Amino acid sequence: MRKLSVGLLGLVLALTACGGGTTTLAGPSATTSAPGSPGGETIVIGTANFTENVTLGYVYAGLLKSKGYTVTVKPNLGSREIIFPALKKGEIDLLPEYQGALMAYLDPDATSSDGDGEAKALAATLPPELKILPYAPAQDQTVWLVTKETAAKHNLKSLEDLVKISKQLVYGAPPENKTRFIGVVGMKKLYGIEFKEFKSLDVGGPLGKAALKNGDVDVADGFSSDPAIADNGWIVLEDPKHLAPTENIAPLVRADKVTDKLTAAFVGLNAKLTTDELVKMNRRTDVDKEDPEDVADEWLKSMGLV
Amino acid sequence: MLELLRQILAWFADPAHWTGGDGLLARLAEHLEYSALSTLAAALIALPIGLAIGHTGRGAFLAINATGFGRALPTIGIVTLVFLVSGLSLWPVYIALVVLAVPAIVTNTYAGMAAVPRELRDAARGMGMTGWQRLWQVEVPVAAPLILAGIRLAAIQVIATATMAAYVSFGGFGRYLFDGLAQRDLPQVLAGAASVAVLAITTDLLLAALQRALTPRGLRDTRKEAHA
Repeated sequence: MRKLSVGLLGLVLALTACGGGTTTLAGPSATTSAPGSPGGETIVIGTANFTENVTLGYVYAGLLKSKGYTVTVKPNLGSREIIFPALKKGEIDLLPEYQGALMAYLDPDATSSDGDGEAKALAATLPPELKILPYAPAQDQTVWLVTKETAAKHNLKSLEDLVKISKQLVYGAPPENKTRFIGVVGMKKLYGIEFKEFKSLDVGGPLGKAALKNGDVDVADGFSSDPAIADNGWIVLEDPKHLAPTENIAPLVRADKVTDKLTAAFVGLNAKLTTDELVKMNRRTDVDKEDPEDVADEWLKSMGLV
Repeated sequence: MLELLRQILAWFADPAHWTGGDGLLARLAEHLEYSALSTLAAALIALPIGLAIGHTGRGAFLAINATGFGRALPTIGIVTLVFLVSGLSLWPVYIALVVLAVPAIVTNTYAGMAAVPRELRDAARGMGMTGWQRLWQVEVPVAAPLILAGIRLAAIQVIATATMAAYVSFGGFGRYLFDGLAQRDLPQVLAGAASVAVLAITTDLLLAALQRALTPRGLRDTRKEAHA
């Protein structure tokens, strides 16, 4: 889950912090229709302003095009605070969402659960004009990371293992993490973890990753779909008490666009869309700086989905 | 608006916000440390450059433009870049602040030296003063007001920008800005901004007084007459 802070700080950080702020070179919108399907149903897909979400938008677009829809993609529209109202107003029809973060946006007091639980809670909470379609196994979840060396030295596998030695460790995370439940507050409450020191760094950006790599911090928070985890051999600490909500990826769509055909298309996609596959696509867009639309199209072909 | 003002005042009135490791006094000490060390380091680099090009009249174009380049670099970019090389330390903060402060001091020092009247230099030379004596006994005293104005300008810029230290996990008043924005705590953000402003204005007034005190009497008197 990537909480994109709006406002001045967001603007400032976007210049440097967010690895995938605006890497797409595509224009504000690009309309393409499947050949031989004039007058097919039209769908406008919007995406949030970070690369993973843009790539997912193009994955959805390629999939629906192959099913005969006329699809328009509007990438990089902004944070959830901007795109959710746009969807509600009908300016866009569909967007790739993260179930846990969407639930937290709709109801800040919602308790986290597994993918099915989140889907049920969303179905009950969403306004009648919106529907959440079946979710994929792929997640972009908040995770807690340590280096291989730290894990070996203290024999760390899960957040529970941290309790004994947390008072000797330095924790690096964005400043809001200090007062947030999915952060310092929840770690203490659920696990009894209290760190020696809190280092305020950036949100899934270059600072936190560099600090973990250099050993300036021992534990850092990150995102499960970040290719840097595998590239650096970092260990994701297990979270047996589910401090971080599950963040399965699911299409959020206007109810008047939902048909059996549309749902079936996403069920087919979900069978292939795992976190590992998402990490692969993120590596191509964020590390190799490839165009999200090309990456999405090639991925769909390689999976036999189009 | 009035409610917001009340919240800011309430924030300052809370004694818990003044003491301890993240209280205003500790943050003030950190902010002063970053600002003072950066300005001092910038002065040690910039003054010799400014004096040398001012005294010899050579290399001004190169020196002014090379240091002025620092003004065009975004501070947050320098901080991030140095961080990736140096790791978690205060180096990114100090380097970025020094890069910011040097141009103002070089430019003002050179301007002050260039404004020393030609007759004065000629007279000093005619009296048989060496280059070193002319620099310290004639040129620097005459250029002092502008040189000090440059240091003053640099110090104010540095104080306003030292908030960047919080971006890479350190303290200073910037902590209130970054934490407050991330935690959606507007009174904390505004209290931090007000603290920076008060510190900047206070420093400006103190340095202005120092500037007056260090201006040679002769120059001061001339100015007074001119104003009279």
